[in-house]
Amino acid sequence: MKSHSDKQLISDYLAGDAKSFEILVKEYLKPIYSFAYRYVGNAQDAEDIAQDVFVKVWRNIKKFDLNRSFKTWIFSIAKNSCIDNLRKKKSIPFSRFENEKGENVLIERIADSRPLADEIFERADMTKTLNLAMERLTPDYRMVLFLRYNDHFTFKEISESLGEPINTVKSRHRRALIQLKKLL
Amino acid sequence: MLKDYEKLFSHLEKKEPPTGLFDRIILAIKREQELQHTKRLLFGFLSLFVISLISLPFSWSMLIKEINTSGISYFISSAFSDFNTFVILWREFSLAIFESLPLTGMIAFAVSLGLAAFTVRLFLYQKRLLLGYLRQSFI
Repeated sequence: MKSHSDKQLISDYLAGDAKSFEILVKEYLKPIYSFAYRYVGNAQDAEDIAQDVFVKVWRNIKKFDLNRSFKTWIFSIAKNSCIDNLRKKKSIPFSRFENEKGENVLIERIADSRPLADEIFERADMTKTLNLAMERLTPDYRMVLFLRYNDHFTFKEISESLGEPINTVKSRHRRALIQLKKLL
Repeated sequence: MLKDYEKLFSHLEKKEPPTGLFDRIILAIKREQELQHTKRLLFGFLSLFVISLISLPFSWSMLIKEINTSGISYFISSAFSDFNTFVILWREFSLAIFESLPLTGMIAFAVSLGLAAFTVRLFLYQKRLLLGYLRQSFI
């Protein structure tokens, strides 16, 4: 449970309380690092991205509109930093199910929307299986699922964070679930 | 369904930020703050430098011109050439000299000189910071 609201912390920081920004960094460090790690797939880049994100936040905090959600704003910065990082490395990891044109052949053929079977939780190597399955998803699918179920974002928040229309997010979420179920 | 998936994702391996990352971020922000401060300082220094470079010769020539047209040099030379008269009429002489002072030129030159002195002082006090930033940016 947060003891301070993001808006309050930002207002305090802008009013001259330097510690407020440190509290903000502490609160968002773990989610931003996890997000970056899931996006780029390695610890070193995730660290660099997390650092870059907070520096960018600090640089632009004066321009931040307090009527907006800070959470979605910082995640949108994180997403752009991840893309920049991957672009620099020119090694955007594509799903093994995607062809050269970027079309995902598997998803188009699967039409399974049943809820997950209970026995799936009973698998001893669930963590390993889930991690492996997540790694095999495209970054777009992976991040929608990650934000939805790990960070408990609403579709609207995901849409704002990723800078995508809400309907795109919803359909991407549905497709990601189908693919994940298949991989599990 | 949401709960099912949230339960499923609780199995996901947690990626904890390494210890020391928080300190590195705070340090990076402090460096960024210093960089911004240096940039502002450099901008201020260059502006003052350009302004004083333009205003100093301009205000000097203005001062010389005002001195030549004011007649102050005539009053001063008269005071020195006829010192006895100056001693007798020192009040009138002083008033005449004071009235013929080229005030505008003197003020303009004093301001320009002060600005140039401040610019030099700023450079001397912050030369390591300014030169370091310039070296980093251009070399």
